Amino acid sequence: MIESTDAVDRAGQQPRPVNDEVVRITGLSKTFHKRGLSALDDVDMVLRHGTFTSVIGPSGCGKSTLLKIMAGLIPASSGEILLNGVEVTGPRQDIGIMFQQPTLLPWRTSLENVLLPIEIRSGSAAAQARSADALQLLELVGLEGFDQVRPFELSGGMAQRVAICRMLVTGPAILLLDEPFGALDELTREYMNVELQRICRERDATSFMVTHAIPEAVFLADQVFVMSARPGRIATIVDVDLPRPRTLDMMTTPEFGALVRRVRHELDMGIGGGGEQ
Amino acid sequence: MIPKAKEMAGPVEMSDAEALWYSGKWIDRVPQSVSVTVLGLGMLGLWWLIAELEFVSRILLPGPAETFEELWDATKNIVSGGHIAEGLWITTQEVVWGFLLAALAGFVLGVVVGETRLGKRAVMPYLVSFNALPKVAFAPVFVAWFGFGVNSKIVMATFIAFFPVIVDTAAGMLAADDDTLMLFKSMEASRWQTLLKLKLPSALPFIFAGLKTAAVFSVVGAVVGEYLGGGHGLGELIRFSAQTLRIDRVFALIVYLGVIGLLLFGLVAWTERKLLFWHKSEIFEIQVGTPG
Repeated sequence: MIESTDAVDRAGQQPRPVNDEVVRITGLSKTFHKRGLSALDDVDMVLRHGTFTSVIGPSGCGKSTLLKIMAGLIPASSGEILLNGVEVTGPRQDIGIMFQQPTLLPWRTSLENVLLPIEIRSGSAAAQARSADALQLLELVGLEGFDQVRPFELSGGMAQRVAICRMLVTGPAILLLDEPFGALDELTREYMNVELQRICRERDATSFMVTHAIPEAVFLADQVFVMSARPGRIATIVDVDLPRPRTLDMMTTPEFGALVRRVRHELDMGIGGGGEQ
Repeated sequence: MIPKAKEMAGPVEMSDAEALWYSGKWIDRVPQSVSVTVLGLGMLGLWWLIAELEFVSRILLPGPAETFEELWDATKNIVSGGHIAEGLWITTQEVVWGFLLAALAGFVLGVVVGETRLGKRAVMPYLVSFNALPKVAFAPVFVAWFGFGVNSKIVMATFIAFFPVIVDTAAGMLAADDDTLMLFKSMEASRWQTLLKLKLPSALPFIFAGLKTAAVFSVVGAVVGEYLGGGHGLGELIRFSAQTLRIDRVFALIVYLGVIGLLLFGLVAWTERKLLFWHKSEIFEIQVGTPG
């Protein structure tokens, strides 16, 4: 893997730990008592600074639950999540999150949508003061000049770019992406993946993406976590050592094909081993 | 209760599927202003014909000519400040007060019901079943409680217009989608912030659907109140005219009742259009090219 050495930490976040460890999860489990369902069982993982991690697994393997627990949105039943050395006990400013739907507020302009997290946490004046940063972010995602446009005038891909800006505006230490481009058409989706790679590299971001598309998982990731279902656990980690920046052309190379096959094989093993479906 | 573009007066937008279904039908090639006018004239003609052929006595069914004459007399009476002007003014006041009180109470209580667990779980079922009652049946009760003056009519108008507002507002409070609520949670938004910045704006299309129904219902409430509780409003004039078999005058007065309702409805619809510029019922498809 080629590490970009000139990547600047523009987000102005906390000094990164010496060991480059952004997230450490140990023994994480989640049981939904109402349904008596064990969604996650004894998950361990480490996310290092500047890396991209994809999580893939059959539906119902708890990958979305895992992401929401990491975001502090739902509590874990047991285990521990450390983000920059501090335990995650609830939502935090240094956690950025993005969903399958852009979830933009339709009555707000792109700029106002991007500034929403600042406005919620620190008030309108603080948000106003950060306008320049927000405009810079819109420029970064290729939406220069679209700051006064409202969501209904944006295409699906453009709306998701605004959502990316809103996620980045607080300078989060970790980006949690819950099938971010799952609702887009195939061509737009491939294009957005290339864009996401570029944005993550420019921001030197640490990213964690849930997806159900194997090529997408491989294309973006430094490591792919393959999960098995019932109970959800990480079955295998597939390291992706393709050079960066990756291009769509690479998806036709034998190396890429081999990695996709490997992930698919591991997935099939996980489903087969998971038993009672 | 889900607001749709089709509730709006004026040209109705068709979906692609609908357009495909109807494509090639002759009605689509006629401008809407023409088809509306032709249908209106046709109905007037039918009315004229039925009255002229005296299928029913002319006293019971006056023709368009007599009705328009009576409408003209009523208009002259109103302009010169006669008893119809007084009736119009009284009924307008009852309708407007009834609407405003219903809108205010319905909105505030609707937010409380839709926002609290107790409201959603305990109060909402009562509201829904109460909403199904024939509320005009309560008119005699209000006359007994509030007398024969304007107050009993205002209360009746408020009572009947209140339910669509509270039910739609409460339903609207649940309109924000789960992911956006999750987003607000991730931004550590307080309950108050979530209410003001997400739930209330999301509820606006529902609230306006309720308000538009309330605009129409408040006229119904005021008139029913007048039918049963007397006074000097348009409802009483209509009741008296009907009793003396002046059906042409009844028709003329109903036109003026309609004017009150339409003006109020129009005002609400206009406000909605200004506030909900972002909502899909107000938006024609705008295409913007993808950059890059």
